[in-house]
Amino acid sequence: MSPDLENEDLERRLHGALEAVDPGERFVPGVLARIAAEPAHAQRPPRAAAVVSWLAFGLAASVVVAVLLAHEWQLRRIEEGREARRQLVEALRVTDEKLNLAYRAVNTQQQAAPAEHSGA
Amino acid sequence: MSGDEPCTSGELLTQALAGERAAFGALVRAHQRSVYSLALRMLSDRHAAEDLAQEVFLQLYHNLASVSSEAHLGFWLRKVTMHRAIDRLRRTPRYASAAPEEAAAAASDTEHADPMLERRLRSLVSELAPAARAVVLLRYQEDLDPVEIARTLKMPVNTVKSHLKRSLAQLRERMNETADALT
Repeated sequence: MSPDLENEDLERRLHGALEAVDPGERFVPGVLARIAAEPAHAQRPPRAAAVVSWLAFGLAASVVVAVLLAHEWQLRRIEEGREARRQLVEALRVTDEKLNLAYRAVNTQQQAAPAEHSGA
Repeated sequence: MSGDEPCTSGELLTQALAGERAAFGALVRAHQRSVYSLALRMLSDRHAAEDLAQEVFLQLYHNLASVSSEAHLGFWLRKVTMHRAIDRLRRTPRYASAAPEEAAAAASDTEHADPMLERRLRSLVSELAPAARAVVLLRYQEDLDPVEIARTLKMPVNTVKSHLKRSLAQLRERMNETADALT
């Protein structure tokens, strides 16, 4: 027998020897019993389970978006606080300048007044 | 399911997806021979094989939404069965070294010319290394070609071909030894 024929013969015999065998009548009830024995949340029909998965995913995505929005809002508030502080400092600086001008004007008038009195 | 009218696998899939247990039972019945036989010939233990096959269908029940067609279902079942079996062989070495009598005795109900020879052949297959055994089973029990086997076992096609070549050589040699011993 040539090696090729031998191989062909062996392959034919393997096909015959490895035919599938049946596990018996009790197999399907066994599978269904194991499904029934699972906790209630694990027993949801596959489509319902898929819907629940999508809902969970949607909820998780919403939480992430909410956290990002809150973070953005917080950053904006900090920026607004900085701007308000800058404006306040600017207002104080302007007020300080005005007060200095007024002080100098009053001082100049006070110094001029005694000189006029003494001249009269 | 509607009465005694036979349903196509596609209809069964749709009904099982909608949560109909009877339809899922019919799907299990349609594929139980293939899944159980692969598990039995990988583990060489009837109880372990039945347990593994049930686990595979339990996993299918929870993942039905990801199965798109009848062809995909067959592919999915073979893939999960083989990976679970190889994983169990790694975790429980007693299966790997178990006496192959159970696998050898597990003949189909059809009659063949030489039951003794086929029994010996099954015994020799169950003595192959797990990866090589998986390749041989998918080739000769499930009738898959090397490309389909490579996809199922996630291994390169050339590795599948070399497993097949070496396994056939090994089986032929052992069969010849048996024949010599008998004469």
